[in-house]
Amino acid sequence: MSDKRPVYLNLLKIRLPLAGIVSFAHRITGVMLFLALPFVVYLLDLSVESEQSFDEVQQILGQPAVVLVLVVLLWSIAHHFFAGIRFLLIDAEVGIEKTQARSGAWLVLLAEAVTILLIVYGVLV
Amino acid sequence: MSLYVLEGLRPWVIQRVSAVYIVLFILYATYCFFSADNIAFEPWKNWFYNPFNTTVVGIFVLALLFHAWIGMRDVVLDYVHNIMLRIFILAMLVGVLIGSGLWVFRILLLSVVG
Repeated sequence: MSDKRPVYLNLLKIRLPLAGIVSFAHRITGVMLFLALPFVVYLLDLSVESEQSFDEVQQILGQPAVVLVLVVLLWSIAHHFFAGIRFLLIDAEVGIEKTQARSGAWLVLLAEAVTILLIVYGVLV
Repeated sequence: MSLYVLEGLRPWVIQRVSAVYIVLFILYATYCFFSADNIAFEPWKNWFYNPFNTTVVGIFVLALLFHAWIGMRDVVLDYVHNIMLRIFILAMLVGVLIGSGLWVFRILLLSVVG
């Protein structure tokens, strides 16, 4: 095989099918959740240490910038959660038919959107 | 099929078994969160003190660390091809994961002792 074969990896020009987007987002959210892990452990430590440090955690989590990060992380958890369940079902050979796999991907997006809306609703009300 | 062939299956199995446990734990934790009367230090610490919760949190963190390791390892093996950089990043991952794990272990122990 020639080494000169064209490699076309312009990520902006590759049009992934929906299942592909869900799959790739599952990776990205996984990496983001890993990066968040040490900070979450730090907050966990503060939250159980004392009354004062618990209040400190609540203050930290109340800051607008942190709220934004929190929303992104909760969204990541929601996506990783539902897309992960979809992959487990596909491993168990549930919904591997092409049309089913497609609607499964839609279902994942729907479920995470509902989850995020419920969380935002719960925080605001 | 030799045993060596099954070696490659092990991370795949661990990834899925840990995933199932994590799903169950998230459902349980979400249920506890929404059935809590108020979010304050005392009830939160009491929840954490509860031997059952300390145990399931401990297992959850263990499952999470294995899950994160296999997932991040797969991502690194897919995208990082320079062998030295690969070893470096994998070593960093192990450091962060073991560090986080020991930290949580300490928190859990303190909640038992304190």
